[in-house]
Amino acid sequence: MSTAPYSLTGEGLAKKFGRSALFKGICLSAATGESLSITGPNGSGKSTLMKILAGIQKPTAGNVDLVSGSSIEKTQWLSHIGYTGPLVNPYDELTGLENIAFAARPADAGERAGRLLETFGLGPHRDKKVKHYSSGMKQRLKLILAFLNDPPVLMLDEPGMNLDSAGTALLHSYLESVRKEKIIIIATNDPLEEQLCGRTIKLG
Amino acid sequence: MGKDILRNLRKDFLVEFRSRFALNVSASFAAIVTIAISLTAGGVPFPANVQAIILWIIIFFSAMNGLSHIFVREEDQGTALFLRTAVDVDSVFVSKFIFNQAFMAVILAVVTPLYLFFLQVRVVHAAHFIFSIAAGGFSMAAATTILAAMVAKAGGKGSLFTIISFPILLPVLWISVSSTSAALNAAPPAGGSLLFLLAFSGFISVISFLLFRFIWLED
Repeated sequence: MSTAPYSLTGEGLAKKFGRSALFKGICLSAATGESLSITGPNGSGKSTLMKILAGIQKPTAGNVDLVSGSSIEKTQWLSHIGYTGPLVNPYDELTGLENIAFAARPADAGERAGRLLETFGLGPHRDKKVKHYSSGMKQRLKLILAFLNDPPVLMLDEPGMNLDSAGTALLHSYLESVRKEKIIIIATNDPLEEQLCGRTIKLG
Repeated sequence: MGKDILRNLRKDFLVEFRSRFALNVSASFAAIVTIAISLTAGGVPFPANVQAIILWIIIFFSAMNGLSHIFVREEDQGTALFLRTAVDVDSVFVSKFIFNQAFMAVILAVVTPLYLFFLQVRVVHAAHFIFSIAAGGFSMAAATTILAAMVAKAGGKGSLFTIISFPILLPVLWISVSSTSAALNAAPPAGGSLLFLLAFSGFISVISFLLFRFIWLED
């Protein structure tokens, strides 16, 4: 992974499903050390915009560019981005630790995994199958999976979903600790999460 | 890429070993159909070509029960997006391809001995018979891996997979039946059919590898 600062730029982004336009004319940019929140009512296209920014979905119009020194090929974006959202589900038949082992890429990910499991309070539950986790524990695991490979870009879609107050505090303190070294983009309707970010884009 | 393939294979084998859904369904189907046919036949010997046809019908439907599962499960359980974020597209295809080949090998290992035993089939050319079964199974799994991805993305279940697989697999079934039939006959079998099956597998595997990204990457 490059050590040069990252920048993410989206220009004239639009998404249509059939004839109905979800959003259009979205322009945004964020560089390392900057954070951005995307807010809007249900169905306004927050998750779709997040997927477009992560290179998971194609926009109907406009383009997104991820740069670190030079432009990064789109097929490689997900190795630079920690992405999680309501539709990113870990494997129920595997334990928390096995899911982490599956998602871990760099050599030091094992050590980071141990620290993240303890930080997010899943240390005692690492060997339980995910199907026996509560919804809050699953959300904590999803966050660990997004943070695991220490990606320079974090894209978190509804990161506080199902978290209790302790979990929310852990998430906020983690994001606060890494905000200077990463691009952070959060899709949320939670005012506290919105406040964590420097800028806000409102959809709908 | 090699590490990604191994990570995904290890995960797929672990998940399948713990749930055993596809394997149990396919193996049970194979056993029930084989026993049902042998009981219905009541010990009447079939000609070699009929024996080969029945064997491949059992293999085809047993495999159809499980070969799509590897992709359909990812969509059904909502893990496809997690897989996409964790493993690059080429590694996903190669690992699922290998998994399906292993799955097919297990199906063949269950169906063939049961069939030979219950229907009292006499194999004249054992090596040719084994190669025919192996090459036919390999071709079947090779051709259906990308179809499984298409069916999963279309939100389809088992029956859709069987329907769209049939025309693609028709030449494989045809050649496999004639090659297996030759192995059960006294006349010396020709090797051309095995060569066709391997060439077909190679061709369809390469095409599938090149096209998979257009199915897997959401639009």
